[in-house]
Amino acid sequence: MKTTCEAEVTALPGGAVIRLSGDVDGTAADALTAAYDQAVAEGDPASVVLDFASVGYINSTGIALIVSVLAKARSQRRKVVASGLSAHYREIFDITRLSDFIELFPDLDQAVSQLTEQAS
Amino acid sequence: MTSVARGAVRRLAAFAVASEPGNERVALARVAEAVAGTGLAAERLDRLKTAVAEATMNAIEHGNRNRADLPVDIEVTQQGTDVVVTITDQGGLHQAGTGEQPDLARKLAGEQSPRGWGLFLIRNMVDAMDVTTDGTRHTVRLTMATTIPADEGATRENHL
Repeated sequence: MKTTCEAEVTALPGGAVIRLSGDVDGTAADALTAAYDQAVAEGDPASVVLDFASVGYINSTGIALIVSVLAKARSQRRKVVASGLSAHYREIFDITRLSDFIELFPDLDQAVSQLTEQAS
Repeated sequence: MTSVARGAVRRLAAFAVASEPGNERVALARVAEAVAGTGLAAERLDRLKTAVAEATMNAIEHGNRNRADLPVDIEVTQQGTDVVVTITDQGGLHQAGTGEQPDLARKLAGEQSPRGWGLFLIRNMVDAMDVTTDGTRHTVRLTMATTIPADEGATRENHL
């Protein structure tokens, strides 16, 4: 099955942004993993923002991928935050308790503002 | 959980998808199209779509074991004030995953697989989920309450 997920990495002071687009499902594994590894390699970020503003679909396998990224980040003592989730997927982050471990921001600007404030 | 309302039964759609990864997206789109006009609020439609996608994925992967020649049969009805979606595979008695309740803290600690969210999501998305099997066919029944009874919906549809 062809992936529709793309992940673009941007380095920021003290952090990195991974802008996801398309579907976060089983086919997104390579894109998400490669983006996380790139973000770490480029800047050793203290925080990683996962931006879901251009994501239309997340399924249970996508949730598992996010759990894997979160587990890896925590093992490296990095913070993960998320932005741009729709109300439905915010609810799923609450139900799964992902929101207990990933701070949620309404949009990328607010996530980046906090991240850069913490870095300064 | 809400009780299933009694009343008129109206079939909104019946179709099958081949057991190929990705066809859960076809299923959710067709179910969403079928329930348009039933009065299901947008946020509850999102919940139903997620449940349908997850149940169809389970039917494809765990029931029909990705055998494209085996169909997943899907029927959408309105029963009184409820929308009911049944998703049937040919896998008989089976269960998706280990059946263990997902625990995020344990997953993050490496004590549980990161996967295993499908049934958990389905149960949390719909008002009721029931599973039946007759030895060959395995059916998951998803129920969501709407605001418009089936009779009223049919009348309004006839006037369009």
